[in-house]
Amino acid sequence: MANKLVTNVMIFDGTGKKPYLGEVLVQGNRIKTVAKGKDQIARDGAEVVDGGGATLLPGFINIHAHTTYLDTTTLASVGDVPPEEATLQAMHNARLVHDCGFTAVISAAASKPRLDVVIRNEINAGRIPGPRMKACTTQFVTTSGPWDARQMHMHHESFSTVMDGPVEVRRKTREMIREGVDMVKIALSGDNFSAQHSDEHSVTWAEDEIAACVEVAHSRNVKVCAHARSDESIRLCIKHGIEFIHHATYASEKTLDLLEKHKDRFWVAPALGAIYATLHEASDWGMDKEFALARHFDREIEVGCQTMMKMFKRGIKVLPYGDYGVAWNPHGTDHRDLEHFINLIGFTPEQTLMMATKWGGEAWASWGGGVEMGQVKAGFLADMVMVEGDPLADITLFQDRDNFLMIMKDGQYHKAPQARRAAGRKRVAAE
Amino acid sequence: MTNKLLTNVMIFDGTGKKSYPGEVLVQGNRIKKVAKGTDQIARNGAEVVNGEGATLMPGLVNLHGHLGYADTATLSAIGEIPPEENTLITMYNARKAIDNGITAVVSGASSKPRMDIVIRNEINAGRIPGPRLRAATPQIVTTGGPWDPRQLHMHHTSFELIADGPIEMRRVVREMIREGVDIVKLALSGDGFIDHTPEGTMTYCEDEIAAACEVAHSRGKRLAGHARNDTAIRACIDHGITFIYHASDASEKTLDALEKVKDKHYVVPAIGILYVTLNEAAEWGISKEWALSHRFDREIEKACATMNKMLKRGIRVTPYGDYGFAWNPHGADNRDLEHFVNLLGLTPAQTLMSATKWGGEGWAGSDPVEFGLVKEGFLADLLMVDGDPLADITLMQDRDNFLMIMKDGQYHKAPVRRRAAQRKRAAAAAE
Repeated sequence: MANKLVTNVMIFDGTGKKPYLGEVLVQGNRIKTVAKGKDQIARDGAEVVDGGGATLLPGFINIHAHTTYLDTTTLASVGDVPPEEATLQAMHNARLVHDCGFTAVISAAASKPRLDVVIRNEINAGRIPGPRMKACTTQFVTTSGPWDARQMHMHHESFSTVMDGPVEVRRKTREMIREGVDMVKIALSGDNFSAQHSDEHSVTWAEDEIAACVEVAHSRNVKVCAHARSDESIRLCIKHGIEFIHHATYASEKTLDLLEKHKDRFWVAPALGAIYATLHEASDWGMDKEFALARHFDREIEVGCQTMMKMFKRGIKVLPYGDYGVAWNPHGTDHRDLEHFINLIGFTPEQTLMMATKWGGEAWASWGGGVEMGQVKAGFLADMVMVEGDPLADITLFQDRDNFLMIMKDGQYHKAPQARRAAGRKRVAAE
Repeated sequence: MTNKLLTNVMIFDGTGKKSYPGEVLVQGNRIKKVAKGTDQIARNGAEVVNGEGATLMPGLVNLHGHLGYADTATLSAIGEIPPEENTLITMYNARKAIDNGITAVVSGASSKPRMDIVIRNEINAGRIPGPRLRAATPQIVTTGGPWDPRQLHMHHTSFELIADGPIEMRRVVREMIREGVDIVKLALSGDGFIDHTPEGTMTYCEDEIAAACEVAHSRGKRLAGHARNDTAIRACIDHGITFIYHASDASEKTLDALEKVKDKHYVVPAIGILYVTLNEAAEWGISKEWALSHRFDREIEKACATMNKMLKRGIRVTPYGDYGFAWNPHGADNRDLEHFVNLLGLTPAQTLMSATKWGGEGWAGSDPVEFGLVKEGFLADLLMVDGDPLADITLMQDRDNFLMIMKDGQYHKAPVRRRAAQRKRAAAAAE
């Protein structure tokens, strides 16, 4: 394979520093050289891609993905879809998120037990397009936990696996490790959506159950993530070493102190988009403002944003994305989360993009194996996107996938370089 | 959509008549006009495709497909593949079939209950490429029938659905009708592969066959029977089982009966699997010795003799069937055309007529869809082939010889230049 030399691009390297004009040489699946300025890197037979002044960034990393969720209009109706159709739709979703510039996703729950595993394997085999993927279990929930969809008189399936007691937790965790997951997801706190029996302030798992899950997972280099909205559930994540803390809305100062002490071991993803969409945009799907307010989605987003800023100031790693994959917050709109991080929390575009790339890459690297990704830096994996325009001036441009002029994963084009549209328009105008 | 005008082609129209130079106009999903000679049809803004003398013919039709079979080295290994992976494999096989010019398939059994159905629906929704597909049940077999893989001490599953007794048969067929099948497949006779139920045996009782046919026919569904021996063929005729598979051994009395109702049946011998099992399967542990001890030599001899008798009586015998195993893999289906010429002694024109005209009739059944001929008003399922398949039937075995593959008026493979023309052009450019 010929080397690829991407020239004449403004490089946002993932660290949050100001973009600079430069060139990047890709050899095999890695970034070989990064240089400031023009004509700095010898051509030497490389395929030269003239970026025409577009922005080059690391590929996006979503650490709270539900790639196999099916954009259904209710959470429970995911369970109505049989495994065959779910497999095909998950495949379509994987392509869609890759089309949107994501080059790696860490799953925070699959819609069926084997679905993440199967799609990850198929992508890795090169038979279907998609991002790098860490495969997760379904939501592990206790009886009466959020998304326990069963009824006394009738069998139902949703996207969860129900278990009670440490021995059953062990067995289910082991079963999914046998099937090949990289991650186990536990629904530790309740949720606004299941407020009737387990609201966002509750904890739905007993400590011996949490310990059982973490013990088995960590013994096999499998990581654990938790749905954790309540203060107590966040504290339990820290205590038991649950690396990925999702939502983390109601962390008290005491919990923040504790988290700050161990901040290198944890990643937090609030998944603001789903809350925002539920509060403001879900009436088409039967969730009007009244429904959302009765379930305190307003407070959820307000407190969540405050908590995220507090965490960030303490150096705790807070990352965008999460919970895309339902009808009112569908796959492919994930980059709205970047806008939420700026508009709702108050992060700068530089900070937000650093979180979505550098920090995401560090989270991915936590599995070990010497993987380096998430930055435009020599030696790092060549996962990069080239975008039309300056995202630091307008973060919303990521929401239009046509603005992605090139998408590269592992040194290979998912989307081969295209001329800038502005350049294209100019050319058309000249003719 | 603009009309497409295919010019400068040799038209093999599917009737078995000699090819003639002509033009074909496609409007929407149908053949609007067929003309002999050049410049006969007004261009009128149509997209003009110059065939450069290539052969234009109807798309090929397989009346005995197994798209869900996974090219495994044993029959029972299919059962070890979970539904998610099997779904993806079936999707690839569907693409491979149409890549090889097969634009319509009647399934002769799926690998898992919902597999054909799901892939048919996904193709029809336009989300994945593939042929028109009639979805079948898995092989419905009796306890102790062929492909009952169970053992008393351990549960196994292969590609079968087991049904014993008329009531269970009713329930199984009804269940599959609920899921959406078009074709119910019954394993009526035994098979040379199965020691406890060889090809001369009958596995289903009359009341069970009658139950399956009653339920299927009441919902307008058709049936297919695995029927290697005379008794099983008789059962197909007596009970109105449309597709008679294998049919190696038919008595004169049975042939008389079949001739009387020949408009209702299609016979698909699936010669290819017999040929390769006898001659090419040593790599997969099936030695010549094994094949001879299981009478595959006699089976192929009988089958060829019987097919010739049937064809002389005007009974429709069509190629293909049982591709989907390691030693007879998907994508090799067009070898069956060669077998029809070499082993049955048909002319290439007769063989291609049976693979197109008769195939189209078989696929359609009583539905008012018409394809399988290059004829005005017929659905535009068309192939453009580099060379003359009537002179060399083996050129259908190289998919690069398909210069264009059209299904329902849409390109699956957009027209490419003839390779000879390309070579000439390249040579001219080099000078």
